[in-house]
Amino acid sequence: MLQQLANGLFAGSIYALFAIGFTLVFGILRHLNLAHAAIFTTGGFLSVDLISRQGLPIWLAFPLVMLAGGLIGLLLERIAFRPLAGRPDEHFAGLISSVAFGGMLIALVQARYGTEQQSISSEAFPNEVYTVAGVSISLAQLTTLGLALVLMLGLAWVVAATPLGRAMRAVAENARAARVLGINVERVTASTYALSSALGAMAGMLMVLNVGQGDLGMGLAIELTGFAVIILGGMGSLWGAMAAGLILGLAEALTIHHIGSSWKDVVAFGLLFAILLVRPQGLFGTIKAREV
Amino acid sequence: MSDTAPESDTIVSVQGLHVSYGRVQAVRDISFDVPAGAVVTLVGANGAGKTTVLNAVAGLVKPRAGTVLYRGRDVTRWPAHKLVAAGMVLVPEGRQILGTLTVAENLQLGGWRRRKASAAAIDEMYERFPVLAERRNLRAGSLSGGEQQMLAIARAMVARPQVILMDEPSMGLAPKMVDEIFGVIETVRSSGVTVVLVEQNARRALRAADTGYVLETGTLAHSGPAARLLKDPRVVQAYLGVE
Ligand SMILES: Nc1ncnc2c1ncn2[C@@H]1O[C@H](COP(=O)(O)OP(=O)(O)OP(=O)(O)O)[C@@H](O)[C@H]1O
Ligand SMILES: [Mg+2]
Repeated sequence: MLQQLANGLFAGSIYALFAIGFTLVFGILRHLNLAHAAIFTTGGFLSVDLISRQGLPIWLAFPLVMLAGGLIGLLLERIAFRPLAGRPDEHFAGLISSVAFGGMLIALVQARYGTEQQSISSEAFPNEVYTVAGVSISLAQLTTLGLALVLMLGLAWVVAATPLGRAMRAVAENARAARVLGINVERVTASTYALSSALGAMAGMLMVLNVGQGDLGMGLAIELTGFAVIILGGMGSLWGAMAAGLILGLAEALTIHHIGSSWKDVVAFGLLFAILLVRPQGLFGTIKAREV
Repeated sequence: MSDTAPESDTIVSVQGLHVSYGRVQAVRDISFDVPAGAVVTLVGANGAGKTTVLNAVAGLVKPRAGTVLYRGRDVTRWPAHKLVAAGMVLVPEGRQILGTLTVAENLQLGGWRRRKASAAAIDEMYERFPVLAERRNLRAGSLSGGEQQMLAIARAMVARPQVILMDEPSMGLAPKMVDEIFGVIETVRSSGVTVVLVEQNARRALRAADTGYVLETGTLAHSGPAARLLKDPRVVQAYLGVE
């Protein structure tokens, strides 16, 4: 039982890290970025490449994967969202063009790595396992939880307490007023995508480290869970995504243990439907959707 | 006027400005000069094009034709954030306070470009507007209309502008608050900042200004020293009425 809870917590921290990037872009820009899962997958494959093929040490691969994710995020914003800014169909068109961007990204990943699963070499990460109170925890799991928490708290700090975060919240509330104040709205938008995508790629890397391999479907699998997390936590709420990710990880682990693994999605999406019906603003409330 | 070079102490010069929204021509061939250190006012009825002129000068709408010179440079196509960095700041119509952010955060955003220097500027504003200091940690949306207007002006001043463009700062305020706002405009001017003031309250604005321009349906109808416009029978009849 404790072991299940621990496993749930580790998986949940990856869900949360994935979801927090998605919800950041929605909360600040009201964009639904459907390329986020593809960036997650790309992050996963890139980390296999860097660690197993290029032989880079893992501590170097972490920042490189985040950097790559950030750059992809900039490209995504520039190609899929900025050209549409100000158009009346901006939001719907952005949704579609982000799907297209994600599809292109996956195609490029496939072109480079093929359709086979990519396993990470077993010596890449010290295979330590600790036993605490009868619960065995691997170093990979601890690293995952620790990194995910640090990154998520770091993001929350950036948004709450830095000049960039202040500008992001200003853009979220009223982009025109932000512009009047001298904020470069285009740059804040691009930064938001870079942050979001860096975290998305990092979530992909942590996933690969935990399951030992990456495959082209990994983004699809987490995307649906990610939606459940975002709805559960409240669209646009960073703290909500954090808590809901962990809750969903725990719920999944308990379901697998007590009912069976085929039921885990049923529980996740059952939760999603229940929230949509009973508390559409999510467990933790959210930045109110703009009028208009 | 538009084809003579602006005098050297002119800080903003608008020449032959045309602005359209789709097929609506909002502003047609407007030219005016703003001397450095002066208060210049644009007055006119609803829909005359006052906001449009200010927004074009501030880089928020792109003119169809014409030029805006700021300190001798052609800034017509500059984005708004670049103009703010160069010292030209707009206090927009309807204040555009960020209501979900605190008073302090609104002021900090005013100094977005100059993070270190802005701390001193923010302290000055707290001194000038004690209400804002008292409420600094409250959400700006909880301030009264007058306090929000103070915040909007203070926020603009944090950027240490050379020119401040104010769009109807007295709109919707009680008479006592209007007095207060015009007092603030006076201190802004005495601190050496050039003021371009748009107002519907033409009498008040012309009394506070050195030079006035009267807009009528997108064109300049009258212009001259504010004191003269206050006595011009055509202006009195159309915009000032009997006191
Ligand atoms: N975004 C817009 N789209 C279309 N037309 C507009 C837009 N903004 C202003 N207009 C039109 O342009 C003209 C000038 O408007 P503007 O807001 O500049 O006037 P104003 O003098 O500031 O009026 P007020 O005193 O009511 O603020 C008006 O006819 C207005 O209807
Ligand atoms: Mg107006």
